[in-house]
Amino acid sequence: MKKKLWTAALCVAIIGGISACGSKESSNPESGSSGAKTKITYWTGDRHDSEYIKELVDEYNQTNPDHIEVELVIKGDDFDQALDMSFQTSEAPDVIRVKENTIQTFYKKGFLAPIDEFMTDELKEKFPLMDNLNSFDGKRYSLPNYGTTMRLIYNKELFEKAGIASPPTTLDELVADAKKITEVGKGSGAYGFAQNFKSPASALGRSARVIAEVSGYGGFGYDFKTARYDFSPFKPIIEAFKQIKDDGSMLPGVESLDIDPLRAQFAEGKIGMYLSFSAEAGVYQSQFPAKIDWAAAPAPSIDGSFKGASGFLGGQWLAISSKTQEKEAAWKFMQYMYNDSTLKQYQEKGFGIAMVPSVSEAAATPSVKGIEGFLPNKYDGVWPVAPTVAVQGTKSDDAFFKYIVSGGDLDAITADLNQRYNSALDAAKASGEVKAEPMPDFDPAKLAGQYTK
Amino acid sequence: MNKAKNLAFSYSYILPSFILTVVLGIYPIAWAMRYMFYDYKGYGAEKFIGLDNFTRVLKDHEFWNSVVNTFVYAGGKLVLSIPLALILAVLLNQRIRGRNLLRAIIFMPTIISTAVMAVVFFTIFNSYNGILNQFLMKYKLIGSAVDWLGVDYSMLTVILVAVWGAVGNYMLLFLAGLQNIPEDVYESSALDGANKLQQFRYITIPMLGPVMQMIIMLAIINALKGYESIMVMTDGGPVGKTNVMFLYVYKLFFPTAGSGAATQIQEMGYGSAVAFVTAVIVGLITILYFYGSKRMSQYE
Amino acid sequence: MKIASRAVMWVFLLLVAFLTLFPVLITILGSFKTNAELTAGATVMPTIWQFSNYAEAWKQANFSTYTVNSLFVAVTSTIGILFVSSMAAYVVNRMEFPGKKAYVGMQAFTMFVAIGAVVLRPQFELMIKLHLHNTLWGVVLILISAHASAFFILQSFMTGIPKELDEAARIDGCSRGRTFWTIVLPLLTPGLGVCALFAFRGAWNEYLLPFVFTLSKPELQTLTVGLANLKYGVSAASQTHYMMAGACLSILPILVVYLFANKSFMKMTAGSLKG
Repeated sequence: MKKKLWTAALCVAIIGGISACGSKESSNPESGSSGAKTKITYWTGDRHDSEYIKELVDEYNQTNPDHIEVELVIKGDDFDQALDMSFQTSEAPDVIRVKENTIQTFYKKGFLAPIDEFMTDELKEKFPLMDNLNSFDGKRYSLPNYGTTMRLIYNKELFEKAGIASPPTTLDELVADAKKITEVGKGSGAYGFAQNFKSPASALGRSARVIAEVSGYGGFGYDFKTARYDFSPFKPIIEAFKQIKDDGSMLPGVESLDIDPLRAQFAEGKIGMYLSFSAEAGVYQSQFPAKIDWAAAPAPSIDGSFKGASGFLGGQWLAISSKTQEKEAAWKFMQYMYNDSTLKQYQEKGFGIAMVPSVSEAAATPSVKGIEGFLPNKYDGVWPVAPTVAVQGTKSDDAFFKYIVSGGDLDAITADLNQRYNSALDAAKASGEVKAEPMPDFDPAKLAGQYTK
Repeated sequence: MNKAKNLAFSYSYILPSFILTVVLGIYPIAWAMRYMFYDYKGYGAEKFIGLDNFTRVLKDHEFWNSVVNTFVYAGGKLVLSIPLALILAVLLNQRIRGRNLLRAIIFMPTIISTAVMAVVFFTIFNSYNGILNQFLMKYKLIGSAVDWLGVDYSMLTVILVAVWGAVGNYMLLFLAGLQNIPEDVYESSALDGANKLQQFRYITIPMLGPVMQMIIMLAIINALKGYESIMVMTDGGPVGKTNVMFLYVYKLFFPTAGSGAATQIQEMGYGSAVAFVTAVIVGLITILYFYGSKRMSQYE
Repeated sequence: MKIASRAVMWVFLLLVAFLTLFPVLITILGSFKTNAELTAGATVMPTIWQFSNYAEAWKQANFSTYTVNSLFVAVTSTIGILFVSSMAAYVVNRMEFPGKKAYVGMQAFTMFVAIGAVVLRPQFELMIKLHLHNTLWGVVLILISAHASAFFILQSFMTGIPKELDEAARIDGCSRGRTFWTIVLPLLTPGLGVCALFAFRGAWNEYLLPFVFTLSKPELQTLTVGLANLKYGVSAASQTHYMMAGACLSILPILVVYLFANKSFMKMTAGSLKG
């Protein structure tokens, strides 16, 4: 009996071995026949547009006159880690998808090659230059395609039931509306407000951030005018969230709520409102078909006055790898991807909201239900990028979340955050990792409205 | 002559293990851990800062909080899972009906992918519409919803889930260990009038000695190191209540920038220092246990 | 009295079985729900059974191709771990030699440290030198190198095998090696069984290693890499329903290995100990 087992195991091993070796050999021949095809790889961590990207790449491979063959590699959460590994091991891709919170790291790690040599005047005109979002130290590394807006997403039926005429525009209204909705909804298990606090950074990064931004404060606590961290503007926002929680108007169990269960409950009609990104529209169309009537409205500001801009996230899409052997080919592929009809399709298919002015003028409204509320309005705008610092101790989001659930002295918390973030900033400046100069004329209100049709 | 032969035999048998461990285990660890003396963020300059990272560890409340959590978590997990696993192994080592099915059932949790556990246990434990609360409220065992994943109960919940996921492993190890106890020892003791409990106390436990010592050692190490199921269930929250030390290390090495969040910084240098301290903690506890349990391995 | 204690035992066993099985059942039932129903979590039974989840998971995770790769990695590394660790365990348990304590300490050390994927980079660089990167053999070797727990388990099981047996064999003219392979190893079956099961499960579920080693060779990817991809679909939300179905499918091979391992706990060795 035992003998049989071992034989069986060995057989499987040998078969496996053969197939593993076989595939190793099969990839070699191409390298021998030179000049036939220029091979480049494109890596993306995006999944929402994967079908479309596949189509585009296939079409390019069949039609391009330069004999360029693009291999498409789609990764998930582990995209950053995989990319790190690929650069450490000389398997780096030629073209890389970059995002607003990865491009700086990739740039600093030396993954990206500047594309200035290819930028014609026409291209410079067409694709807005954004410091720290697609260009660093005077060189350009990427071009914008689509972006993401942030909104208050609300259940119209619950609002109606609670007798609320229009979505809240101040924190006080936010608190009051959450309470009203809970009063009428609790019987059927519906609550006024919810946040995905399983990850405080993700929860506050889609709520407190945008409320601060429309009120004229940097979304991550960084004051561009003074080039210092100052978290005190967050106090009223955090107080409001705490109030909602203390009132019992927050969905029970938000402490461990992830974004997907939150969305699923919203689709079921159990949540009055929450703050999030324009990607939500697609979610309620495909993964969690909404059973209720919902809409998106501009995020409320602290006191109803709009002194800033609601963050329009994006400004970059594709970039060329610093390790590529085929920069020309990579650029040709990039040019193909950035053609007008593709960019237009990105908005029309609902993958994102066009960020290239000429495209957003020409593109039709996306076919996704509910997306209208996410299209750029007079409040949307692109914020400059706050410096990234290695703060020691509790991060701001975790500290604020702790206050929301268990109270404490908010003044002391913000003072402590200011002190630690600023000393991390000083250290980063001293070592030359970060350049942070005060911008005395910085006016956040001027950021808004650049993307209105 | 004979001695030389014995040495040659010993070294030749240990060689494959030695080479593999040194080259693919120790060397990579040393390679990565050298960063504990550096200020290194995964890019740019590697700045030598001596022991600065270690003074930072000493002052790092979040880390020491995670060490305390680790002890609570590991202690709870061990106290519940080891006795349970041993009892189950002894019971299912008898010739009773359905023992193979029962063994298979108890083994099942150990093969379910951690990735889906987040969803499964959220379905069971969440306070809004979790199955457990609905059941308890239906039978009036609790008056209002309990937030099993909230600030007060999340540690208890992650311990229970850890026990659920671990009992099968230890039961199998105990079962395998029980096979080394000859059946006739039980038979003769039964003739002497020993009951089942006495047999358990005076035969099973002592004869399982060295195996049991090893199983508990592995269980201690695993409990101190476990973080994956916590990561998917609570991600160390709420407010750090279930943050264990290896999860803390993991997050220093692999910070994730979720959508909307600020750019994250990888703390390669500091993470290595914390990883080193955690390794020392695990090592010390293991060595303490090992000397404390020497008596167990005395059985010949 | 006897009946009462049997009753207590059965109540206990059935309760444990129920509590253990319940989350497993939730997983299986969940794999037949729509994503919205599963994530909202309001139901236990699926309202409409979505058998198509399995077809989708099978297709999207490339089950038919990746299973072969996974089997290759799991089987070869299991065999490797058993050989390497049982040989080392034997000499550590039975022989005296300089450096023994240091060797045991080194094995223990590898278990105390957990820095996860940070070690991948030096490991990968080593594999480039050996020309084993981009093959699954690199993955297998690294998996075999992590055999500390198998070593400790087998070492402790050896203690239970009387040394007299070895000596008797030696007197009969058996070499040390022969004694190990023909006398000791067969008696070690229960320990080997459980180590094989754990090693197989570990290799089968290993994600990061095969992921990194197959970055530029998608045809070598293992099932875990495919399963991880199931999470992502056409929208920003995870495809949890497909993940569940994929997870349920991928436990089947481990169950098969378990059935074999379970056979080794069947009192097959007790008799021979009397030797």
